[in-house]
Amino acid sequence: MKPDSPMTPPLSPTLLAGMALRPLPLAPLRPILALVMAAVVKRHPRMFDPLRDFGDPVFVIDPVDLPFVFVLRPAAQPVGLRAERTAEGIAATATIRGPLPVLLDLLEGRIDGDAMFFSRELTISGDTEAVLALRNSVDGAGVELVPELLSFLGPLAVPAGKAVDLAARVARRFDDDLQLLTDALTGPGLRRVEAQAARIRALEERIAKLEKRAKGKVSPT
Amino acid sequence: MNATPSSKAMELVCPAGTPAALRAAVDAGADAVYLGFRDATNARNFPGLNFSREDLKEGLAYAHGKGTKVFVAINTFPAAGEPGPWHGAVDDAAMLGADAVILADIGLIDYAARKHPDLRRHLSVQASASSIEAIAFYVREFGIRRAVLPRVLTVAEIAAINAAAPVETEVFAFGGLCVMAEGRCSLSSYVTGQSPNICGVCSPASHVRYEEDGDTMVSRLGGITINTFDRDEPAGYPTLCKGRFVANGETGYLFEEPTSLNTLQILPDLMKAGVTALKIEGRQRGRAYVAQVVSEFRKAVDAAARGQTVAAAVGLDAVTEGGRQTAGAYRKSWH
Amino acid sequence: MGGVRLTLGPLLFNWAADKRRDFYFRIADEAPVDTVCLGEVVCSKRASVMEPDLPEIVERLEAAGKEVVHSTLALVLSGAEMEQIRGLAQEPGFLVEANDVSTAALLRGRPHVIGPYVNVYNEGTLAYLARQGAARVCLPVELSASAIGVLAGAGLAEIEVMAFGRAPLAISARCYHARAHGLHKDGCQYVCDRDPDGMAVESLTGQEFLAVNGLQTLSHSYVNLAGEVASLLKMGVRGLRLSPHDLDMVAVAGVFRALAEGTLEAGAAFERLGTLADDAPFSNGFLHGVEGLRLVEGHLE
Repeated sequence: MKPDSPMTPPLSPTLLAGMALRPLPLAPLRPILALVMAAVVKRHPRMFDPLRDFGDPVFVIDPVDLPFVFVLRPAAQPVGLRAERTAEGIAATATIRGPLPVLLDLLEGRIDGDAMFFSRELTISGDTEAVLALRNSVDGAGVELVPELLSFLGPLAVPAGKAVDLAARVARRFDDDLQLLTDALTGPGLRRVEAQAARIRALEERIAKLEKRAKGKVSPT
Repeated sequence: MNATPSSKAMELVCPAGTPAALRAAVDAGADAVYLGFRDATNARNFPGLNFSREDLKEGLAYAHGKGTKVFVAINTFPAAGEPGPWHGAVDDAAMLGADAVILADIGLIDYAARKHPDLRRHLSVQASASSIEAIAFYVREFGIRRAVLPRVLTVAEIAAINAAAPVETEVFAFGGLCVMAEGRCSLSSYVTGQSPNICGVCSPASHVRYEEDGDTMVSRLGGITINTFDRDEPAGYPTLCKGRFVANGETGYLFEEPTSLNTLQILPDLMKAGVTALKIEGRQRGRAYVAQVVSEFRKAVDAAARGQTVAAAVGLDAVTEGGRQTAGAYRKSWH
Repeated sequence: MGGVRLTLGPLLFNWAADKRRDFYFRIADEAPVDTVCLGEVVCSKRASVMEPDLPEIVERLEAAGKEVVHSTLALVLSGAEMEQIRGLAQEPGFLVEANDVSTAALLRGRPHVIGPYVNVYNEGTLAYLARQGAARVCLPVELSASAIGVLAGAGLAEIEVMAFGRAPLAISARCYHARAHGLHKDGCQYVCDRDPDGMAVESLTGQEFLAVNGLQTLSHSYVNLAGEVASLLKMGVRGLRLSPHDLDMVAVAGVFRALAEGTLEAGAAFERLGTLADDAPFSNGFLHGVEGLRLVEGHLE
């Protein structure tokens, strides 16, 4: 892998080590993940159907540049997506490892999974067939994360004329939040633990607001 | 119809493993898309892939709306005593308005010719028709309109076939490369019990395991170690024919390296050899692959039709197996 | 010789002319087989080795009361190869075995044999080929008992099954023997003659699992259907094919003859074959519908 490759994990091992010293609170991620999953499932209700052939498979999706893993249960009702500090103790059907940007591109079909596998940027272990089913299902569905989240959040009892404006604001906010998360995890601020803590506090506040806004949309009741 | 600058441009036949890939192929300039139903009737019977009847209906509407043809691959060999799913697939492809069916089994082609004489029949690469006589047989007996040629022929051999056989030919232009004669390989079923001819899968994922051993990745198929890759060493599909083995005291790629076929550089030669259509392999690949490869080949095919040579498409390196490309059997040196 | 036809399949390997002649002479004189397939199936470059002795071998076999079948190439690529086959197909009185669709097409209208390299998976294809004149069909090695049962029960042609020897798994335009010796097919120096039963292929962990024979890839294990002979005959299979190896094939044929006649138990047959094959691993997985390399104990349903 070339050092200047865009696929290079943005975090150096040293930074990751520093990260591990200070546990990142995962709580703020919970509503974001629930929101994302609800939006995606609403738009693609049959996307995960092929996964039912595998019972209730558990995928550990491990962004190698983040100090936590995602645990996806695509055949569960409702579909489960949560963040865990470690994959230890999770009875995973399969594990998919790769840099976060690669995983996001894969989710949105911007890159070819086989190509990423050939170039070793993506590694998989466990039930290969289940991984293939997940990859094919997701790729075939045509997921577009941000627009789908927007359309999901869009008609929040907003007068029609203001919907566009709101969507734009949510988009900005969502972008900001992602940026904040990325900064918190990857920025030079990491060297100063206090600054990082402050950023994370700010992130928590923003997400709490977002969660409030999306309430009722997330839980199907 | 997608813009074809000259009538002699070769037709670009592109893979669609999912409806999203079909749209990507059509949008990228495919002249035709090929796909299969979601069962053992096609040779890419992979989990989460392929088309329901409803998907095909929608796919046909999308493709035909943009002037792109749709071919349905029903290219496995019907199970003895259970021809129902295969006959049903042919019937449904005809009923829904597919532009052609791609068939391999003599009995099934016979069925299609008798039951749906107006449905265009292409001979699948899985039929392994490697000689003028074999192709002429399918033309004479079953009225096939096009033969997809096996990946064992040189460009000169293809030219000879085109000069003599009264039929269109389609050749593989990019992607996965069978090194054994297609449709005549039982390596997968020997190790996994799953046969390409019967089940529509080669080296099925259900029998593949990857293990990380320190910096080394080990790939296994069934109980057999297929390969080990050092850190950052490009990998390939875990098929037996691309594995690293020991023979005659040497460790290496006995059959073939992990590599992908790429004919961008020899498109003018293929055109001169009288090839009607080019096939992009990869129904198992993501829609990003489809979009990228199809648009590169669209440009190259049109350039070749204008008599221009084509520059190598650097971007395609990234989607090749093992990061390597070959012109395969088209060049005699491969044999 | 009883209701079952024992056939010695075509010799797949590149043996020296003397060894080949001696082998067939002994088969003619001693082997309890009904039919012997002659001819090059794998590589047209080798065909010239066989030719000078062929008339003599045919004569000796026919004098011994054996039917001779002329087998042909599995992968026909060049015009020269096709012409060679055309010549054979036009030879009056020859019973020819087609191993490629092109050859089957040439044989249309006269009785012929379809070899295991032609894809006959179902009754639709079998019916078509039978209408064209295929009197006997040796089925592809990967077919399971359930498929064989359907085809043997169809009554369309005499059905034969490969019962002994390394399974032919793949054929290629590329020569892997030459490749393993760092040579090109055109300048192969006929290195395939160094391995009378094929060149061993091991995995990286030292597991032997394939054997290379020029353009052909075979199983490392020897297919052995000794335990299933009775079941196969019951489902209507009329012929058993024994693929020649560099071992006492006369004795192997004797074992299968005794099995078919019910004078030898499967267990004892297995033991004898094990000794004859120098304890090579056996397999019958394809027949049982599982991985071809497996040896499944117990009876077919």
